[in-house]
Amino acid sequence: MKEAYRANEAFIEIEDLAFSYKRSPVILNNVNISFYKSEITAIIGPNGSGKTTLGKLMSGILSSDQGSVFLEGTNIKGITLGNIGKKVGYLFQQPERQLFNPTVKEEIGFAHLFMGEPKDKVEKKVSKIIEELSLQGLENSSPYQISRGERQRVALAAILINEPSFLILDEPTTGLDMVRKEKLSEILKRFQQQNIGMVIISHDKSFIKSNADRIVEVSGGEVNEV
Amino acid sequence: MKFDPRTKLIMVFSFSTLAVFVIDIYLLLVVLLISIIVSNYFKEDWDFLKRAKKYITLLMGIVLIQSIFSPAGEILLSINKITILTTGGLAKGIRVILRMLIIIISATIMKGSSPREIIQALIQWKVPYEIAFMVSLSIRFIPILGEEAKDAFTAIQLRGIEIDKLSLGKRFKIYSYMFMPVLSGVIHRAKELSTSLEARAFRAYPDRTSYIKLELSKKDYLIMLASLLFTVLIFGIYIIMG
Ligand SMILES: Nc1ncnc2c1ncn2[C@@H]1O[C@H](COP(=O)(O)OP(=O)(O)OP(=O)(O)O)[C@@H](O)[C@H]1O
Ligand SMILES: [Mg+2]
Repeated sequence: MKEAYRANEAFIEIEDLAFSYKRSPVILNNVNISFYKSEITAIIGPNGSGKTTLGKLMSGILSSDQGSVFLEGTNIKGITLGNIGKKVGYLFQQPERQLFNPTVKEEIGFAHLFMGEPKDKVEKKVSKIIEELSLQGLENSSPYQISRGERQRVALAAILINEPSFLILDEPTTGLDMVRKEKLSEILKRFQQQNIGMVIISHDKSFIKSNADRIVEVSGGEVNEV
Repeated sequence: MKFDPRTKLIMVFSFSTLAVFVIDIYLLLVVLLISIIVSNYFKEDWDFLKRAKKYITLLMGIVLIQSIFSPAGEILLSINKITILTTGGLAKGIRVILRMLIIIISATIMKGSSPREIIQALIQWKVPYEIAFMVSLSIRFIPILGEEAKDAFTAIQLRGIEIDKLSLGKRFKIYSYMFMPVLSGVIHRAKELSTSLEARAFRAYPDRTSYIKLELSKKDYLIMLASLLFTVLIFGIYIIMG
């Protein structure tokens, strides 16, 4: 029963995918795997095994000539990054690469203002998200001059304003203390209740144990269920 | 055959000097052809030409802009009394493109030398070590910068910004946003680098010894001489032709 349900609902489906960077050996080979909105999937694997690469392929950041990636049944190559971003939120392993504004407040709302949404509406959303991720007090700080953990939450906040239905988080627990990890767990649980699917790339065994419903491992170019 | 990086530097220098000073289109074409042959001899892969395809519209744009803003000669095309293409303007545009091509293609001659060899070449030319070191650092960081800029550009689109739907003005604004993460990355890296250089006692002694020593062989001298002769020859032709 569960299998049938899962098969129908694959949010991201990867078919016969292979990938290598320019002038480098093959990193992923013959990958066939699906990800579902109903569960939190953890991707584990040693350093340099290709976890980040897989995450980037899943969200259309990278693309490959061999194999295909489907997002809700549509080949991801046919969707613009702008439209992917409205469905899939991607948290980079280095969150500073996705921060563009002088203050946290502007950072969270800027894409929506940029695309022409009315200011008061955006402000309302921003303050709601600031509260949700407990970023109060940092509204006017620079995203570059706050702690790494805070920066990660700012990047997450900026993603959440798009109300994505799926999140890909690359090493979200790096640099978080125990209390913050607990908080992140709570936040993820809340997302799950809101029917947001998730993929968490992580080495953090205890974090994965307490949060993931399913674990897949990347190793030697292959991706397998654990 | 392996050539000394200094020989290669001289070649690049000759080609780019010619590219800048020569005005005659046919002569520029000759220089381009020879730079292609030479750089091909150094077994450069032509990957970058594939990437250059993307910039064809930009190149066409340059020709057009040159032609619109510096009309000369006969009119070839005009729309509503606005002169778009003139023979003189077209020639100017083609010249700009030829120059760019010569400089880019001749620069690929250097690609076969490692950054370490290039530093050594500069040092043996009595360039202060600090400056030579800086040059090699910047060479090493170019691909990393490219990577970061690419990530930032992707990330900004993933925010839900559809670049294709934006007006030209707004598009430029998006590019300016991208500077933020790239610049912050550069500053951050510079800070870390300077700390680690201090920690490793960079410049603790006035003189540095080097394990690598470059030596010019006969063929290096020959090639250098040939490059200089070639430069003088082209200049000669250029001056005689007036
Ligand atoms: N832009 C790139 N160009 C060339 N090779 C790359 C590039 N990015 C990553 N690689 C290589 O691809 C392999 C997989 O990298 P990836 O970042 O996906 O690993 P990872 O599993 O996320 O590692 P980590 O646990 O350290 O985050 C590594 O061997 C890496 O050196
Ligand atoms: Mg990674």
